[in-house]
Amino acid sequence: MKFVFFHLMPYPYLPDDFDERYASPSLDFPNKHFDPKLGNKLYHRYLDELEHAEKLGFDGIAVNEHHQTAYGLMPSPNIMAAALARRTSRAKVMVLGNAIGIRDHPLRVAEEIAMLDHLTDGRIVSGFVRGIGWEYYAHSINPTRSRERFNEAHDLIVKAWTTDEVFEWVSPNYEFRYVNVWPRPLQEPHPPIYIPGAGSTETMRFCAEKRYTYMSVYAPTPVVKRWFDGYRAAANDLGYEPDPEKLGLSIPVYVAETDEQAHAEGRQHVEWLYHKGLKQGIERVMPPGYTSLGSLRGMLSGRGKPPNEYTYEELIDAGMAVVGSPDTVGERFEQLMDELGFGQIISLMGVGDMPHYRTIKSMELFAGQVMPALRRRSGEPRAAEQAGVSGG
Amino acid sequence: MSDTTTPPVDGATERLDVRGGSIQITRGGHGPPLLFLHSAGGSGTWLPFHGLLARRFEVVAPDHPGFGGSDDLPEVEAIDDLVYHYLDVLDRLGFDRVNVVGASLGGWIAAELAVHSPHRIERLALLGAPGLRVPGNMATDIFLMTPDQVVATLYRHPEVAAATAPAEPDIDFILSVQREMAGLARYGWAPYLNDPKLERRLHRISAPTLVLWADHDRVVPIEHGRIYAERIPDATLQIVEDCGHAMYFEQPGAFADAVTEFLEAGP
Repeated sequence: MKFVFFHLMPYPYLPDDFDERYASPSLDFPNKHFDPKLGNKLYHRYLDELEHAEKLGFDGIAVNEHHQTAYGLMPSPNIMAAALARRTSRAKVMVLGNAIGIRDHPLRVAEEIAMLDHLTDGRIVSGFVRGIGWEYYAHSINPTRSRERFNEAHDLIVKAWTTDEVFEWVSPNYEFRYVNVWPRPLQEPHPPIYIPGAGSTETMRFCAEKRYTYMSVYAPTPVVKRWFDGYRAAANDLGYEPDPEKLGLSIPVYVAETDEQAHAEGRQHVEWLYHKGLKQGIERVMPPGYTSLGSLRGMLSGRGKPPNEYTYEELIDAGMAVVGSPDTVGERFEQLMDELGFGQIISLMGVGDMPHYRTIKSMELFAGQVMPALRRRSGEPRAAEQAGVSGG
Repeated sequence: MSDTTTPPVDGATERLDVRGGSIQITRGGHGPPLLFLHSAGGSGTWLPFHGLLARRFEVVAPDHPGFGGSDDLPEVEAIDDLVYHYLDVLDRLGFDRVNVVGASLGGWIAAELAVHSPHRIERLALLGAPGLRVPGNMATDIFLMTPDQVVATLYRHPEVAAATAPAEPDIDFILSVQREMAGLARYGWAPYLNDPKLERRLHRISAPTLVLWADHDRVVPIEHGRIYAERIPDATLQIVEDCGHAMYFEQPGAFADAVTEFLEAGP
């Protein structure tokens, strides 16, 4: 079992009238609400938390990319990875990921990740994402071309990392006459690649074919199960059994001394994440053409409501956050492992507007008590299977 | 010269095979040919507006690629592709020279078509057409709106729209709207509903042109209409009162009358 400490770096200081006045913290929530003095402190605090995660024994520390939003303050995740590179020495530094669908210049991503691979002495992990819907508005990139831009940029970057001669690249969305990325990455053949999935069978097959790590986005457990089963089925079709570590469960986590205390303290932060951070209509998340009509039909027939309409209790029940004492959180993850079969937990522990001291307390309880128990257990897959069966 | 006595004429659909698939064309009426290029919403439907025009013209109303009954055509992905597509369609239908009437997205296509091949156009009517890049007066972003906001923006009197839309839209209805929006996004996401080079080319248009605008157009500002009327050599700007950008959905009679009167004033 691998444990990743993932940060979104949210900006928690929303105005009192946020709920009534703004449709979302993303895209057009004016940046007058960003107080540079507070924001400055946040960056250092959040980087401290990521560095602390390495000291506590997390296997990876992770950042990601979002634009024009209080949901996450990392328009350039590679800058954050660079800030972590020489302040850490053991943990994987994971960019989950670069939003290559909205970049005009995929080679810049190839160059920066290759540089980061050297700065981290081969600890960089390279995630690729399409970019969320509102970012297609923010960058004026046509969402109807999102999927093909992502695919072409991915192919170009990987080829740039793995080809040792100058080559020409011509595809519908990109043309480069001389591709010759210096430096080459340190890891052979290239840094590990992670791709988040949200139900597209095309993505499952793509990840299974390339043997990339497939990670979930925040969704109810039965939905994540469909995705992970889809990935395993795609791998089986290709004739292999995927390593569970190739499946990463992304999930917000809060641990406190007792269940009662954990819910009393954690509730408002989980609610902030889903009700404020993820406050966004469908037109903002999925602009026209971003999702194929086939996938859209599937989503509409699924009848699921958007995460920001779940109550706190529903979020906990649905497996969209894990909150409790160390024992409860450990047991909950055991259940989820049995149900979903993942080998990597990508935990979000700086949840929403959580203050520093709570994040640190939760991290320490998780690393000190939950992680060792889960590591022991995952070392005994037979026992785990039996526990799963007897647990019904 | 409003004709209130003749009833609207029906139309019938046909298919035309083109490169990469086929398109749907609805045709009705008798008289000089009139190519009608539709707006982003409401493709695939023969509306009262079409029926009113068809009293005096042979109205040929194709669905754009990716809209209504037409296939998505892989080779048609931008406004210039649409121009070549419609040149092909005119050739295939045997029209050397036609009246062209375009509304909203269709008006943009009509203007581009007229710039490219002025000799193919007898008379031209642009209804609430985007297409021009007007800094400070850009077309409104309807993609970021909720469905209710879209309706409230398109119509001067949104209750008119409420009467025509299903109260509880089913999945097929939602998907058909999504397909139209995706079609509009394909051609007009960025630059947003404009071609930066169109304005400097408008001098090429030789056909007498009617620039027809709704007085309460909250999608494409009237400033765009003024520029069209100013830059096209033989153009007139005319305003329809008490109407929104939905134009021929909201006031089919007024728009059909204005267009008919203009086209019939020709040689």
